[in-house]
Amino acid sequence: MNRQTMTISLDVNGQRHVLDTAAHHSLLDVLRNDLDLIGTKECCAEGECGACTVWMDGKAVNSCLVLAVEADGGEITTIEGLAGEGELSPLQSAFIEEGAVQCGFCIPGMVMAAAYLLEHNERPTEAEIREALSGNLCRCAGYKRIVRAVQRAAGSGP
Amino acid sequence: MSIPNVGAPAGRVGGFDRVTGRQRYIADLRLEDALHVKLVTLPCARARIVGIDTSEAARVPGVRAVFTAADLPDPMPRYGVHYDDRPVLAVGETKFHGEPVAAVAADTLDAAREAAGLVTVDYEELPPVLDVRGALDPAAPLVVDPDLRPGDPLADTNIRREFRYAWGDVDAATADLVIENTYTFPMVTHFAIEPHGFAVSSDESGVIVWSSIQHPYILQRVMARVLGLPWSKVRVIAPDPGGAFGGKGYPKFEPLLAFMSMASGRPCRLVLTLEETFQAVRRNSAEVRIRTGFDSDGRLRFQDIGADFLMGAYVDISERVISKSSHLAAGPYRVPNARILARALHSHTPPSTAMRGFGTPQFTWALEQQMDEAARRLGLDRLEIRLRNLARKGEEIVPNDTPADGDWFESVQKAVDAIGWSGPLPEGRARGLAVGIKSSATAGAAYSIVRFLYDGSVLVLVGTSDMGQGARTILTQIVSDELGVPPDAVTIVMGDTAAAPFDYSTSASRSTVFMGSSVMRGCADLKDQVRSIAARLRGLPPDDIGVDRGMVTFPDGEEKGIVEVVQEGLGPVGGELIAVASMRGEADPSHPIGGRPWFYEFNCTAVELEVDRLTGEVLIHKHVTVGDVGKAINPLQVESQDEGAAIMGLGHTLMEHLVLDEHGRIANLGALDYRIPTTKDLPLDLESVIVENEDGPGPYGAKGVGEGGLLCVAAAVASAVSEATGVVIRDLPLTPERIWRAMSRAGVTPSGASRR
Amino acid sequence: MGVRARNALPPPVAPGHSLIVFGYARPRSLPEALELIAGGGRPLAGGTDLLVGLRKGKISADRVVDLKGIEDLAPAIERVGEAVEISAGTPISDIVAHPVVRADYPALVAAASAVGSIQIRNRATLVGNICNASPAADTAPPLLVYGASVVVFGPGGERTIPLAEFFLGPGRTALAADELVVRLVLPPSMCSAAFARLTRRRGVDLATVSVCCGVDSDGTVRFALGAAGPRPLVVEDTTGTLADPAAPEEATSSRISEMMEAATPISDVRAGADYRRAMLEVLAQKTLAEARAQAGARS
Repeated sequence: MNRQTMTISLDVNGQRHVLDTAAHHSLLDVLRNDLDLIGTKECCAEGECGACTVWMDGKAVNSCLVLAVEADGGEITTIEGLAGEGELSPLQSAFIEEGAVQCGFCIPGMVMAAAYLLEHNERPTEAEIREALSGNLCRCAGYKRIVRAVQRAAGSGP
Repeated sequence: MSIPNVGAPAGRVGGFDRVTGRQRYIADLRLEDALHVKLVTLPCARARIVGIDTSEAARVPGVRAVFTAADLPDPMPRYGVHYDDRPVLAVGETKFHGEPVAAVAADTLDAAREAAGLVTVDYEELPPVLDVRGALDPAAPLVVDPDLRPGDPLADTNIRREFRYAWGDVDAATADLVIENTYTFPMVTHFAIEPHGFAVSSDESGVIVWSSIQHPYILQRVMARVLGLPWSKVRVIAPDPGGAFGGKGYPKFEPLLAFMSMASGRPCRLVLTLEETFQAVRRNSAEVRIRTGFDSDGRLRFQDIGADFLMGAYVDISERVISKSSHLAAGPYRVPNARILARALHSHTPPSTAMRGFGTPQFTWALEQQMDEAARRLGLDRLEIRLRNLARKGEEIVPNDTPADGDWFESVQKAVDAIGWSGPLPEGRARGLAVGIKSSATAGAAYSIVRFLYDGSVLVLVGTSDMGQGARTILTQIVSDELGVPPDAVTIVMGDTAAAPFDYSTSASRSTVFMGSSVMRGCADLKDQVRSIAARLRGLPPDDIGVDRGMVTFPDGEEKGIVEVVQEGLGPVGGELIAVASMRGEADPSHPIGGRPWFYEFNCTAVELEVDRLTGEVLIHKHVTVGDVGKAINPLQVESQDEGAAIMGLGHTLMEHLVLDEHGRIANLGALDYRIPTTKDLPLDLESVIVENEDGPGPYGAKGVGEGGLLCVAAAVASAVSEATGVVIRDLPLTPERIWRAMSRAGVTPSGASRR
Repeated sequence: MGVRARNALPPPVAPGHSLIVFGYARPRSLPEALELIAGGGRPLAGGTDLLVGLRKGKISADRVVDLKGIEDLAPAIERVGEAVEISAGTPISDIVAHPVVRADYPALVAAASAVGSIQIRNRATLVGNICNASPAADTAPPLLVYGASVVVFGPGGERTIPLAEFFLGPGRTALAADELVVRLVLPPSMCSAAFARLTRRRGVDLATVSVCCGVDSDGTVRFALGAAGPRPLVVEDTTGTLADPAAPEEATSSRISEMMEAATPISDVRAGADYRRAMLEVLAQKTLAEARAQAGARS
């Protein structure tokens, strides 16, 4: 098979990485396999579940549907980069306090999507929160506490 | 210690790692030198394998092995839970869409995928058995070769087993009203957000298996058996699963990877795609024919229940699912006469396994709708008819078996209050209510090792799996209170059979009771040891010394911290205190399901909803779920689990079903067309209520939690939909289209404009 | 697919485990892009359809041609005269947030907001959605009602194709093999329009059916239907019946029924044809009422 390899340069969580990647590999593949940033998860691989949500150039995207080569020159934030080393952002703390974390597998993507919402909407309504997280599937939690965690972090209370 | 941890909404242990992305699930483990494996499957359910050409695949650079049945021992090794029935690779014939006929192991995932695409299979598609009718048709092909069922009188049928339970005399029972209906429950799949993952490293010294498995010891046993090894040479390492719900309970591809690892000399790793998980695990679908007799007061006279469950080609744990749930098919009621016949059928469908509820949702779906119909026909309130039949605490529900172990009326009352059952109903809305029970474990064993270290921190080694339900957290809370140790000084070690002692399983909502009790016993043993040390140090009888919540009390009133006493006792050389404890429930072979359930999970679910008469869409305004839990060790976790169970129940109620095409392939394979609830599918108001009477067999009077919230969602919603539309629907899911069709057929005219 | 079988069997439902390899090119100009596309390269904008299609084996390509390096296609939403022009590289999330689009083309905003999740909308482009030509594409009905057209660039330069002539069938458009859509043109909005869709769940979902209704100031009522046939369909009523709020319900309903007969919905894993048919009428009623109300508010 004809495989094309390209060299790309990515800024991930404030750190620059230069690496070779196959053209057909996704940003998710590179984050997990080349950079060992395993916080971002793979589930459906077709943009339906949101488990792979990262921020790219300031926008929340499904990293399984971004080719690594498309991300060349881009600025990526993953769950590992959301807060300082050993720290939790208010949103992350809220997730724990509200009991929104169960098995945790959907949580990185969920937190990235929620954080993206709060960046653009400081006081979202419950409907806006549900809408913003509608691309992130969770099978454990029933979503209610996830919504409450976002409300808590936004200071808007349940 | 001032405020007890038990009973408090303590933060989840492991929460920090999960919100920061540090938590390592099976797919996140880096195994040095591992080969990546890809499965080769056929695009149909059943096919005769004529020949497999692996030569082109083997030539792909980086490919180390291309396995087919020919590379495995002859006869084909088989494994399973009830029986050794599942072949490591399909041999002769495939039995379901997704059964691997070959597997490739390569240095990179790309190479494995490329090679998998180059395997050429010469096959002849054969007609599959895909439903209950097909399975029972005398002319149907046999899914399982009769040679593999020696001595089995049913071997020349697709009926694997029949389970019969009866009490009273159904045929002699009289009734003023007899209602007979058939209900169906579809195939649904677990769809944990984490796909299954496995890795095996196998050589002369033994086998290490990494798996997202809920029951490491069952996997150990099965691997040892299929590989012919002593258990001590099989080590299972089980990272916390990313959701399981029963779908990660039993071995799937670990045996295959073991053979491939032995052949290639390297660890072999397989992570399933989401689609492959749909092909690997699902709930048993069922057809329930139920004939119920009532007197004119609505009291149950008899239940005559026949149920057919479609298992798939391999039994896995499904016989247990069926035997156990059918044993309790008559529900939480006083039923003087009952006859139950449940059959486990084979089919060429994706294989079934355990799934949250373990067969009970299927029966509850039928049972509760019978109660509703009786209420309608007798002019009774649907709540009232249940109150007239619900067993009181201490009353028998299945004769000579565990009686009703809770004040179930209290749960019902709480649901009634929370939904406002008797209150005025806003225009266009309707309410529904249902109850359900599920048996917990009937036998089992949970061993724990509790190590009190020299500095006063504690290590607890247990075989329970924390798959999101929060087992680590509640065990931490228990240890913290019992030993007076701050929660962050407690470390729970799970998921390693070389470190943690035997635990039967993490299932049946048993862990709080079994492992919780085991750990409590371990703590009690440690306290005895501390008492002995203190006694020795002071030259006093141990009985004179008190040990409670981290303090040692002497007869003269002096108090010392446990750590100080332990350090004094062990001296400068140091050491530790170790307790080995167990909680065992022995199996009773004379009992139809191997023993009496240790407790029941009882749930009452009530909903208020509206149905769009034009489109059939359901909007749930309020959903209340009430569970009788005995004692909520961690109320936050209990509520979270119940909410999650409720939403999962809404999944099969409103939108989930696996659709098979005529080739037996799953037509809606993947997240695009298999719909599970999203944040926008939540009821507008979801409330979880806990009933705590400390009347369970577990620590502090706890029972178990986790499955109850799912049991009667479908029935409660259907009840409300019937009220709202006048149509009764006996099949799931209640998609808008299905409701619309039922309304159209019944000539129900829409009133008012669409209300989206 | 993971197997090449000697038996003839309909294309399997791919479990997504086979390896799809393709090359990548990132042209800097339109002519460069066209050359690559003419040579078999697949245009890549948001990737939310293309990458899924490639991985499932539904689309094949030796190479994807990333259009995001072409200045001319960079995200842009501009008033040009009285029309609004949206460049090919504009993500849907930009479009639904744009004040002019929100003010003048509310039905488009409603439809575009339903495309996937925010993660999808941040990448997926409107032009890409159109070029994918799914019969169920949500954005097609409002664009048809608003009379949109696409500007296409080819070896011969630019040409404009009205959207009504652009969709030819499932996955097929009027684009030649060496052409690219460079922008979408929305004429000044002459109508009040409303959009509705029906899905299997309230959450993100493909439409079972979708309808956009436009009521012109001259009394023409147009319905554009999605997932109602091999390509989005437009049916028009010039009798004035539907535009008249005073028309008896009976007359409106039967006129709508009549118009919906042009639809040819299929039965598939998402819904049955008869349900789709019935729901087309329901959504037509609903969107007509909303569009009429909007028209009333405008005048």
